[in-house]
Amino acid sequence: MRSLVLLLAAVGVSLPAQPLKLDLTRLEAKASDKVNISLNRGTLQLASAFLDGKDAEEAQAKKLIEGIDTLDVRNFEFKTPGVWTQADLDGVRNQLRPPEWSRLVGYSSTEDGETAEVYVRQVKHKTLGIAVVTAEAKELTVVSIAGQIDLDSLTELSGHFGVPKLERKQK
Amino acid sequence: MDWLEQELQQALARKEPRPDFAERVRRAARRRAPRASRWMATAATLVIASGAGIAYREHQGRVAKEQVMTAMRITAVKLTEIQARVKEVRP
Repeated sequence: MRSLVLLLAAVGVSLPAQPLKLDLTRLEAKASDKVNISLNRGTLQLASAFLDGKDAEEAQAKKLIEGIDTLDVRNFEFKTPGVWTQADLDGVRNQLRPPEWSRLVGYSSTEDGETAEVYVRQVKHKTLGIAVVTAEAKELTVVSIAGQIDLDSLTELSGHFGVPKLERKQK
Repeated sequence: MDWLEQELQQALARKEPRPDFAERVRRAARRRAPRASRWMATAATLVIASGAGIAYREHQGRVAKEQVMTAMRITAVKLTEIQARVKEVRP
């Protein structure tokens, strides 16, 4: 098996989109509010059939999930700070390694202990994965999207879903 | 006894059925009524099952749609927060 993977890597064949393993059950048990969503291609296609193309938000979601294979979201809110540790996030971060994965944006504040990172998985100039990891004192969020993703559509999310649109810098 | 009484007596006199009468009745009953009711039951089961299947699929679709919308909402909020933070640091 290992030799087959090495052979495929050697000839430049990319393996199919692999969703991240989000093993955060320890935190989920301690969360006061939690969102745990895992959708595969079949469920996304089913959802797409029920999304209304005439509604701005639903049309945006429909467009985004077109090429997606899996969509996973974990959002945990805690009543007290200090529930999550860096070790919890390391399990996710360790999967987001080069050469396929690269960190697009990273932000951390020593003042309030907030961190936020966006990773992309690019294979032959195609974006095949996005991971968003944000951690605040009492909240932790991990978003993993695997499949063909239109980055422009993703950035267009602001301005929809009740989120104010951020102005883009003119180049 | 007048002629009318005689006629009635003859008409209403007990007659033994043919020896295969019971078997013929059983065969006829087996042939008609149960088959019809069996078809009706099968048709009703199919209608109920397909109706339940469609309703379940509809329910699954609506749940999946809600999950997609929730996932997109969370992603949108988080990406916008990150964009705003980065803008603060690098205006």
